[in-house]
Amino acid sequence: MSTEIEELSELDLSKFFDRPWVCIVWDDPVNLQSYVTFVFIKLFGFSKEKANQLMMQVHTEGKAVVTAGSREAMENDVQRLHEHGLWATLQREDHG
Amino acid sequence: MGEFKGTPATGDLTVALSNDELHILINLVEQLLELLGERNFAHHYQSDDPFAQLMAAQLMSMEPLSAPEDPVLNRLLPNAYADPDAADEFRKFTEPRLRQVKQQHLLYLREQLIFPVDHELPKADIAISDAQQWLLALNDLRLALAVRLEVNSDTFEKFELMPDSEPKKSLLAVYFWLGGIQEKLLNHL
Repeated sequence: MSTEIEELSELDLSKFFDRPWVCIVWDDPVNLQSYVTFVFIKLFGFSKEKANQLMMQVHTEGKAVVTAGSREAMENDVQRLHEHGLWATLQREDHG
Repeated sequence: MGEFKGTPATGDLTVALSNDELHILINLVEQLLELLGERNFAHHYQSDDPFAQLMAAQLMSMEPLSAPEDPVLNRLLPNAYADPDAADEFRKFTEPRLRQVKQQHLLYLREQLIFPVDHELPKADIAISDAQQWLLALNDLRLALAVRLEVNSDTFEKFELMPDSEPKKSLLAVYFWLGGIQEKLLNHL
């Protein structure tokens, strides 16, 4: 019993209640469309179709959520996007 | 010029660049390296070319080297959070590595470009050993130029109507030329 309780106490309950984190890429007038698509495929393994669709969403709507998950994972995604010169931020998922 | 041949898969990707193009690229790379705080490379390249001097003046006209308030650095090393406190906290741990990664790409590109200049070759077919580093370095150069030149979605239209006397025009031409090179490189990956 005590082992089970210990295991339970180690569970991060916040993930059941909190909104997940998302990584957002913002539009900029410099990065080439073909380059943005290329980076999405390279970093996230998206299909060409999905990468292209997200790139178009960034371009037409000004931003797009590209990945979602734990805060650590999103921080890692943002860092990698910055290494590739894309303008990215992370935040909690917006239900509003 | 700026034509690519071959593919990374077959290991024979090359780009043809004229001496002028090499000088322009090396100059941009070195200025961005300085801005990013890299000061340990020798200045092989010195020029009294007025065009190079104009680029230098445009690129270095802002803040002291590696000042975080510099808009170019702000674009290359952007905030990860909208909240300034969270952004600063994140930056504390990540910015050194981000700077280092960008410096590495630029140093690599410089190394590839400097050889034909040092050997005074009139025109170079440069073997691209690492296309990814080329791509990322070219992208950072474009981002840096775009910030200094205040590029926005109307810039191309304005550029086409600009008189040759406009000081920004030659640098904008470089900016668009770099975009063309990057697009061609992407098509060869």
